[in-house]
Amino acid sequence: MSALFHPLNIYILGLGGGFLIPLLYRVAKRWLAPVFFLALTGITLISAVAFIRVLGGAPPFEVITAGIAPPVSISLRLGVAEGFFCVSVNVVSLLGALHLWPRLREHYGALLLYLIGVMGINGMIMTRDLFNLFVFLEIVSIATYGLLGLAGTTRSLSATFKYIVATVIASTFFLLATALVYFVTGTLFIDELLQLPQPLSGPIATTALLLLLAAILIELKPFPANGWGLDVYETAPGGIAAFVSVGVSAGVFFSLYKLLPLFGPWLDLIALSGGLTFVASNLIGLRQIRVRRMLGYSSVGQLGLATLALALLEKTGAPQLMPLVVGGLILNHLLAKAGLFWLADLVDRQSISGWSPIARSRLLLFLFGALVVAISGLPPFPGFWAKWTLVLHLSSAGYVWTIAAIAIGSLLEAAYMFRWFGRSVHAPANNGLSGVDLPRLDWRAIAPVTTIVVLLALAGLLAAFIAAPGSLWIVTPLIAGGMLALVEALWPGLPGRAKAALALIALPAIGPFLLPEMQGLPLLFGVLFIAGGFVVGLGALYRSETRTGYYPLLAAMLLALPALAGASTTLEFFVAWEFVTLGSYFLLAHGRQTGSQTLRYLLFSLAAAFFLLAGFGQFNATGGGVDLATLRSVLDGGSVQATAAFVLIAIGCLIKAGALGVHVWVPGTYALADDDLSALLSAVISKVAIFGLLTAAYLAIRSQSGPDLSILLAWIGMATTLVCGVQALFQRDAKRLLAYSSISQLGYIVTAIALMDHIGWVTALYLTASHLLVKGVLFLAVAGVILRAGTGVFTSLGGLGARMPVTFAAVLVALVAMAGLPPLTGFGSKWLLIGTLLDKQWYLLAAAGFLATFVGFLYMIRLAWSVFLGPREQKNANHHVREAPAALLVPQLLLVVGILVLTLYPSPLFGPLSQAIDPAFASSLVWQGMPLREIYDSLDPLPVMGAAVVLSLLAAGVLALVLRAQAPKPAGDGRDVVASLAALARTIPLVHRLPTATAAWTGVAGVTVAAAGRLRLIYNGNAQTYELLVILYIVAIHFLGWP
Amino acid sequence: MGISVSHLALVTGFLLCLIGVWGLLSNRHILRIIISFSLLDTGVHIVLVATGYITGATAPILDEALGPGAAALHSVDPIPSALVVTAIVIGFSVTAVMLAYAIRLYRAKGTLDIDAFTESKG
Repeated sequence: MSALFHPLNIYILGLGGGFLIPLLYRVAKRWLAPVFFLALTGITLISAVAFIRVLGGAPPFEVITAGIAPPVSISLRLGVAEGFFCVSVNVVSLLGALHLWPRLREHYGALLLYLIGVMGINGMIMTRDLFNLFVFLEIVSIATYGLLGLAGTTRSLSATFKYIVATVIASTFFLLATALVYFVTGTLFIDELLQLPQPLSGPIATTALLLLLAAILIELKPFPANGWGLDVYETAPGGIAAFVSVGVSAGVFFSLYKLLPLFGPWLDLIALSGGLTFVASNLIGLRQIRVRRMLGYSSVGQLGLATLALALLEKTGAPQLMPLVVGGLILNHLLAKAGLFWLADLVDRQSISGWSPIARSRLLLFLFGALVVAISGLPPFPGFWAKWTLVLHLSSAGYVWTIAAIAIGSLLEAAYMFRWFGRSVHAPANNGLSGVDLPRLDWRAIAPVTTIVVLLALAGLLAAFIAAPGSLWIVTPLIAGGMLALVEALWPGLPGRAKAALALIALPAIGPFLLPEMQGLPLLFGVLFIAGGFVVGLGALYRSETRTGYYPLLAAMLLALPALAGASTTLEFFVAWEFVTLGSYFLLAHGRQTGSQTLRYLLFSLAAAFFLLAGFGQFNATGGGVDLATLRSVLDGGSVQATAAFVLIAIGCLIKAGALGVHVWVPGTYALADDDLSALLSAVISKVAIFGLLTAAYLAIRSQSGPDLSILLAWIGMATTLVCGVQALFQRDAKRLLAYSSISQLGYIVTAIALMDHIGWVTALYLTASHLLVKGVLFLAVAGVILRAGTGVFTSLGGLGARMPVTFAAVLVALVAMAGLPPLTGFGSKWLLIGTLLDKQWYLLAAAGFLATFVGFLYMIRLAWSVFLGPREQKNANHHVREAPAALLVPQLLLVVGILVLTLYPSPLFGPLSQAIDPAFASSLVWQGMPLREIYDSLDPLPVMGAAVVLSLLAAGVLALVLRAQAPKPAGDGRDVVASLAALARTIPLVHRLPTATAAWTGVAGVTVAAAGRLRLIYNGNAQTYELLVILYIVAIHFLGWP
Repeated sequence: MGISVSHLALVTGFLLCLIGVWGLLSNRHILRIIISFSLLDTGVHIVLVATGYITGATAPILDEALGPGAAALHSVDPIPSALVVTAIVIGFSVTAVMLAYAIRLYRAKGTLDIDAFTESKG
């Protein structure tokens, strides 16, 4: 039994099968397929059994050839690392053969080459002899040259010729290096080489090693010497490209890993080459419209990242992280990239713009989405856990710029991957390209890709277990979503409302279990997320469509909210954060109108996430570890250097909250999302950023520069409030107005958090709850209006008050509550805020707060007037309008009740709010020399309230005068009020400049894409340019590496 | 002082390598490129053989005259020679594959000018 599964049999099967195939082709053709698959399955099984054995503690398998011990003979070894790589490559190769079968069976030579190629990769991984490594490399190369010719087109022939020329140069230098290594050391046995005193000294040894390094790196397709690789990715059949991209590269990568101790002096150089490749190829990837070439850029980039990780982990002496980080990155690349290449074969569209037919197959779309998420290094797939661990480790080792490069490269990669996905989902169904259906695919065609996604998910769980065994519960939202998806798949006729109900019930049913032993702020936010998510989510019940796929995503995303609150480590927090981001992205993409807006949403959210990741990395590096309880503590003030961590996390949260300057993603997102989703996004999901900011704020309190930073933060918040409030004033669409209003209101909360004291934070929490209630009402009310009147554009609305009295009443309550008028919640919260600002002598901020409150009042009036009161332009347009359905009214009424409770009985609420902060803050907290009690006592609401009322009245009077003076027509026409308001708004100089925020970001995008356009010019398609780049790369490695 | 055979071989080998690299970069004709690769490859083979050569030593055949201990000092190192045989076979097959592609490329476009085959770029 043990002889049957001995790794040596891998070669017997590979070579034996290789010899048998031409024979069978002549004598017994029907045995070709069984023999081919028997050999390939055998290779896979043998490697798997051997891997399991060594994993179980058995000593590594040593294969001694010719009966003589090395160094005289060649030896092969299969230990844990070799086993992992062999099994991964073999499994993907086996699935790849199944995928490629229709093409492979056309020519027996292809079967032979495929088998020999797989065997050769196993040989590269297992051999312990440098020259033998060269031989296996050549075996794999020659097999690849043959397979690449399968496509037979002129494009693919010329691409393959370039590939051959470049790789033979690399392998010739490999051979030369081998000769020189033998000349210097007298051995080719790798174990013996590694035992020599490192680094090998002398000019010939140095030359030899640098040549060897350069040759191996070239085989990994480093920037810029990789045009030849990209060309074959583009022109080869996807299955073959996948074989080259994942199989061959994995073999070469393992060779680098095996020889890495020899390259000790050049680890930085290797890392530099890897990092440069990662960033540059993902940058150029932005300009790609051909699917396979784009995947090629991504492929090259992923290997660059793995190379970077390998070199830096070796340099910083962290071999224990190799399995998770390097193994995770490689496995993620192997599975996801193979899956994407195969998918490209199935869809069979060259250009990313032709992929919309995929949207008609739910399964393919799901697989596509999962693969894109995986390749972008997002949870729950292995690449995510690898990246997290890598970034945390690099932070501790002080590699700040490397982390920035990883973040930028990853963001660029996500940009073009998700752009591809988004276009496929949103392409107009009637354009010429996409009108054609996909070729009919049976289960055999789809099975390999499906298996790959299942394997990815399992690998992700395994990686999560290795990274943080105690944090596995964090995938609960996914499991819940997955179960709902299963129900949906088994029961295709299930009405949408039933699925919505299931998704919503899951929140209060499972949510509380995600908040174990939480207290204080996390508990409060957890309750807020569950209750708010449930009530606002009820709005979904008004939709009658089946919305296939929507509700599983909704369940997963809603449950990720309490998971975020219940996170006890920074990793759990980050995972839940990414789940919320991804969940809302896919929900947005599900909508019909969102279009390119989804990509904007995703990119800003991912950028926010990378800042968060960097911040958590910094926190860990400065001794804080990964425990959130340590982060949320003020007690060990000053012991942790927290400024950098705070700034990074705060930037992340501000992007997510849509602070001024980075708010450009918000209005379009909220405006174009499904109406019930907009309500959830604005009312509930935006609070994720607030929760994050509150968490980070503990760091600011501890930090030396805390007071300065908090003034800055307060101003950012107030500027957002003011500017976006003014922006809201002259929107023409109800949802856009509410979107700007939402950003504006979050600005208040940011300012309140920036007060960094007990009263400020109570205010922030009070504002948060208040905003949740108010925005929930308003968005749901607008959803009802759009449902009944068919539009949310002001000029087409008016006079709906009588037709929709309940909605109108709810809006009125929300209006009064939000605008900061007495007596409802907004008033209470705003006097708290402004009062505290005055109390801290931040007079300018307080004045800005006054102004903003006034602006808020104005745009709310405008909303109510345009929709419910003012006349409608078309006569009798309203006669069919009815009251909104109960599914929208019930949550609104529940939220209105919430507003009233918050207003009439604030003290029962203030208690828990205060309590929520107290355990952390302690009531003895002293801020600027003032104990808490005194702060409370000094806050006298009456003068502030009085001043607010007087000022508001004065401002309203002034406005009325201005309007009267400017109005060209007699008063009484509601539209003129609106027009005058807008005209007035435009006279404020700041407003004219506002679109520059969007213009600036468009500029950033333009510059990036232009840079990508410049950079890709080096790939001119000429074989000799590529040869030159390869040789220059070798020379450059030599010069940079020479001691 | 005369130049030893191994030095001569080394110099020749490296010179061939350089000529091969130069030929790869300077020739537009695909057959010339393939020939240049062969020159580069042959150069490396000569270097390989040269590294094992010891001037004045005997063939590495162990018998009464040449015991295992003396062999290390007085015989030519057989390993590079063994390696070079393998390398020559591999170089031969690679050249054959390249020539096969040259034929297919010529059939596709009727030319062997490398500049004519730049379809994929950017």
